[in-house]
Amino acid sequence: MSYGEAVLLGITALAAIFSTIATYMAIMERDLLKAVIFSAIQSTIYAFIYYMLMAPDIDLVYIPVAVGLYPAVIIALIKKTTREEKP
Amino acid sequence: MITLSEYFMTILITCMIVNLGLALYGVFFKPNLIKKIIALTILGDTANTFALIIGYRMWVAGVPSRPPVFTEWRSNNPLLLFVFTKTAVDPLPQALVLTAIVIGLAVTLFLVFLTLQAWKIYRSVDMRDIRRLKG
Repeated sequence: MSYGEAVLLGITALAAIFSTIATYMAIMERDLLKAVIFSAIQSTIYAFIYYMLMAPDIDLVYIPVAVGLYPAVIIALIKKTTREEKP
Repeated sequence: MITLSEYFMTILITCMIVNLGLALYGVFFKPNLIKKIIALTILGDTANTFALIIGYRMWVAGVPSRPPVFTEWRSNNPLLLFVFTKTAVDPLPQALVLTAIVIGLAVTLFLVFLTLQAWKIYRSVDMRDIRRLKG
């Protein structure tokens, strides 16, 4: 019985719990700029989960797209439209 | 008897299912179009994570699983290839996810420009206002 895999998957499961918290805050946040930042945090944790699931080549694409481009484009959209979400 | 690895894998899959539910809630029930786009990106990423979890291989007899990148192809030792095929994770879901990420980027950019056009015409990105203006 080796505990190496259990340790690695335990770290991954901990990251998944944090990603759930970040997703909840991104969906429920009224300020759209904060929601984008929480979404970027969630994407960073997902990139870590991809790395732990033995997919480092996915990370090469995922990090620039989901941590860089998505927030940049959506922040540009928020700047051109409105920042507050109406209740 | 469930092992510790399976227990942590169950936690990971449960968290992903919760994320999927939260993202679906955001897409369906949040009236703001920008919030819908953010939820859609989270939905796509979670679906990609499910594909990667399907392709993941647990450790066999204490031997660590490895990424599907074969680096010892210069040596003509067939034993290395045998060990690689027995320990590497499945590369097919990773190839599909790689494509899905780029397609998701294109779809998101299209939706962003659609939202911008809605703002220019209706001066609002709220679904309730847009619905009231044009029946």
